[in-house]
Amino acid sequence: MADSAMTAHHDHALEQSTEELWSGGQEPVKASYGKLMMWYFLISDTFTFAGFLIAYAAIRFAHPTHSAGAWNSWPDPNEVFSATPVTGHANLPLIFVTFMTFTLIVSSVTMVRAVQEGTRMNRKGVMFWMVWTILGGLVFVGSQAWEWQHLIHEGMTPTGNPFGAAAFGALFFIITGFHGAHVSVGVVINSIVLFQTWIGTYDRRGHYEMIEKVGLYWHFVDLVWVYVFMAFYLL
Amino acid sequence: MATGITHEESIKRVYRVCGILAIVTAVEIIAALSHYSWLGLSEEAKVAAKLPLNVLFIVLSAAKAYYIMSEFMHLRYELKPLTISVMAPFLFLIWAIIAFSYEGVSWLQLRTWFG
Repeated sequence: MADSAMTAHHDHALEQSTEELWSGGQEPVKASYGKLMMWYFLISDTFTFAGFLIAYAAIRFAHPTHSAGAWNSWPDPNEVFSATPVTGHANLPLIFVTFMTFTLIVSSVTMVRAVQEGTRMNRKGVMFWMVWTILGGLVFVGSQAWEWQHLIHEGMTPTGNPFGAAAFGALFFIITGFHGAHVSVGVVINSIVLFQTWIGTYDRRGHYEMIEKVGLYWHFVDLVWVYVFMAFYLL
Repeated sequence: MATGITHEESIKRVYRVCGILAIVTAVEIIAALSHYSWLGLSEEAKVAAKLPLNVLFIVLSAAKAYYIMSEFMHLRYELKPLTISVMAPFLFLIWAIIAFSYEGVSWLQLRTWFG
């Protein structure tokens, strides 16, 4: 690099080009390999969830709309989801799921804050916001566990339930279970990343891009919940 | 991070999106509960009231999905080809939703006719 007009930054980029920047001298769509592959993984996961939710739609359309007392009609969500851990069986439709939804939204916000502190190389800030994100995830999974045990107690099984069409129970357990598994995996991944932040892995690496990648996954879990929430609790 | 905006500005945007998502969710819940309080209505009236509500729920959920993807997942600040390659596959889903819903209605008809 004899050319003095060339900045240090350019020097660095050229040195990296063959080894690190996808061997093409330039990153495709200015995204790192890991980030782009996370996006493509999320697309494939979207199709898995879409498969489940479209099956839900088809099976639901194959049943009569809700009517009280008709065993084969589709259950009314206001009737099914009306209990909370605090108020017991007092009739409070959709209140508990509202709490769960807000928890997930807030934990998405704390995740974005962790990513933002990561871009400033603020190790303490990243750890602070990651702890809150993990707590939000745990509260959500715990709430879902409570709702499951409540509905099982009410008599909901994969093959039948007291609220209406039998298929409702199977679809509920499969879809919210698959989503809950995603949240649980997210909590584990977030904890690993928190630990690596704590021991200074990303400071040594020189960037906090890993926070951004697990953040994409975490927001995806929130995004899927928007549609699970819509399908089971609203429509 | 967000190109061309300051750290303070991007923090402000995150909390604004958080507020939007919270308000939209609250509106959805209130709409769903309002349907519940109409229990006194006849079955036909309930079904008729549910249809516009369902349209509202689908539109509001799409709005939430837009805000999560564009701001939280940062898609708004990425290069356009990345956004297109992420969004384009979802076109297939629009077809799948229409086709399988149509199929479900047909299953119900077959069941009703042939018991």
